[in-house]
Amino acid sequence: MTALSRRRALALTGWLAVAAVAATVWLGLWVTPPDENMGDLVRLLYLHPPLAWVAFLAYGLSFLASVLYLWPRTRDLRLDRLAGASAEVGVVFTGLTLVTGSIWGRPTWGAWWTWDPLLTTTALLFVLYLGYLALRRVPGDPAGRARRSAIGALVAFVDVPIVYFSVDWWRSLHQAPSISLASRKMYVHGSMAWTLLLGFLAFTLLYAWLLGHRYRIARLAEREESSVLELALAERRDEAVEGAPAPVPADAVTGGGPGSPGVEMTPAGRSR
Amino acid sequence: MSYVDAGYVVALLGLSGYAVSLLLRERAVSRRLRPGEGKVREIGASAGAETPAPADRSP
Repeated sequence: MTALSRRRALALTGWLAVAAVAATVWLGLWVTPPDENMGDLVRLLYLHPPLAWVAFLAYGLSFLASVLYLWPRTRDLRLDRLAGASAEVGVVFTGLTLVTGSIWGRPTWGAWWTWDPLLTTTALLFVLYLGYLALRRVPGDPAGRARRSAIGALVAFVDVPIVYFSVDWWRSLHQAPSISLASRKMYVHGSMAWTLLLGFLAFTLLYAWLLGHRYRIARLAEREESSVLELALAERRDEAVEGAPAPVPADAVTGGGPGSPGVEMTPAGRSR
Repeated sequence: MSYVDAGYVVALLGLSGYAVSLLLRERAVSRRLRPGEGKVREIGASAGAETPAPADRSP
């Protein structure tokens, strides 16, 4: 796949994501009926679970890429880049999951926040991945930094299944998932179910688009970093050569022209 | 503004804000890497042996 076709595919994903998110918002706010128990608050359902799903997906991909990076046969710095990019997008989605959940919780439970197992473990997940992103910024050689980050991603991912199963493991205020993967059952029906599924698709497409761009930034930033390093090395070489006694130019021996004094020659240390 | 509206506004503004920030970051890094702009120009001029020396240093 060429760079141009990759960019086109990414742009197409972006437009599809915009269309799908717009359709979800339209269906969620104006087409679907209010719920018998929750009333209009059910409309937040079309946002909140898809946001949480994408956060899990992002952390899952980050985990997978980190495992593959640590595996000697598949070790590649591109996997480290993918893990970092996916985790950053995941942090954004986790933050929005927490905020939309809090907005839903205020009228439902009467509080913006409670130390419920699901909420607490999700907040912990957010903090863990913020720590992971901070770890990625600690300076070091690329291979060492990638290894350290991959281990950090594995540690942070431990909380993901805890968040998912916390509703079953502990007494939680939070309702059980609307779609149960374990029993393969859906607890929403009709237009509500379709809108919810569209929400999952829309945010997954959006995640793919954001990930593509975040990955590209990481690639460009690495290229820039290596270029800056090259520049710094070249400058040090220049300084070292300028500080040393001037070499006798070859032209002086062989009889160079009057317009080419030896000190104006390109120093040998700058050639590759 | 209802809680539902607030939820939609926060989620959509958050996602679009992040998307715009990514596009701006990408544009800024690509611009810095483009030959003839930013640090890369200096790199090309001073580090590359194939590249001619800067104008102020040539005879």
